[in-house]
Amino acid sequence: MRRTVTFRLVVDPVRCDGFGHCAELAPELVTLDEWGYPVMQAEAFPQSDRELHRSAQLAVRGCPRQALALQKIISA
Amino acid sequence: MIALTSPYIWYTSRISGVISLVMLTLVIVLGILISTRVGGRRVGRFEITEMHRSISLIAMIFVALHVVTTVIDTYVNIDWISAVVPMTSNYQRLPVAIGTVAIDLMLAVWLSSQLKERIDPRAWRAVHFSSYASFVAAAIHSYLVGTDERSLWGLIVLGSCVGVVLLATIWRVVGRPERAVGRTALSPLEQSKRR
Repeated sequence: MRRTVTFRLVVDPVRCDGFGHCAELAPELVTLDEWGYPVMQAEAFPQSDRELHRSAQLAVRGCPRQALALQKIISA
Repeated sequence: MIALTSPYIWYTSRISGVISLVMLTLVIVLGILISTRVGGRRVGRFEITEMHRSISLIAMIFVALHVVTTVIDTYVNIDWISAVVPMTSNYQRLPVAIGTVAIDLMLAVWLSSQLKERIDPRAWRAVHFSSYASFVAAAIHSYLVGTDERSLWGLIVLGSCVGVVLLATIWRVVGRPERAVGRTALSPLEQSKRR
């Protein structure tokens, strides 16, 4: 049985102040609601997608409130 | 040593002090632009944040250059300790001490930002606000001991720096609401308007 590794960008809603940087840095993964707060793409993306991985990393690094994390999901 | 008595070290000290003040002005204005959620159409908001981060580093480098050249220069007698501990300089004790306070506050702001992931966001915010105090101290310091600040161009530079920061601060306080103004050009509401 092979394990599959996927990633998901998650937001800590307590830390988030709606700066909107994530939607600019990772538009594939983040959309903003009416008030400018992020709505994350629910499904995880595969490890092979380097481009999405890079976008997610930029969003994590670019957040002025350190509210983002790149979650690694290992499923059997 | 011949190099250490060169007048160019003194000149570098003077001009790097002026450039530091201009850089600090830029950094503060960019910080205010971030907190008021400017950008999102022509310039990305994340780009303003990146500029704030990188220009603050450049500002620190100019401050470091200002300190190093001032200490190694023999024209005024200031020790290394005076760069971080106030009221230790034999030359112009109080005005130099005000510059030292500006540096200490700057270091606090910089260090707290480096540790941003580990410290409480409210603590970071409180420390970050002392950048205003740092700018005020830097401006007073430059007016009191700046060799060039009493000249016409010096006063113009100092006056514009203080004026720009003052206007930006007033704008931050009264101009825009701080939260819930987070729409950028990419948010769905704005996109539907453009369609």
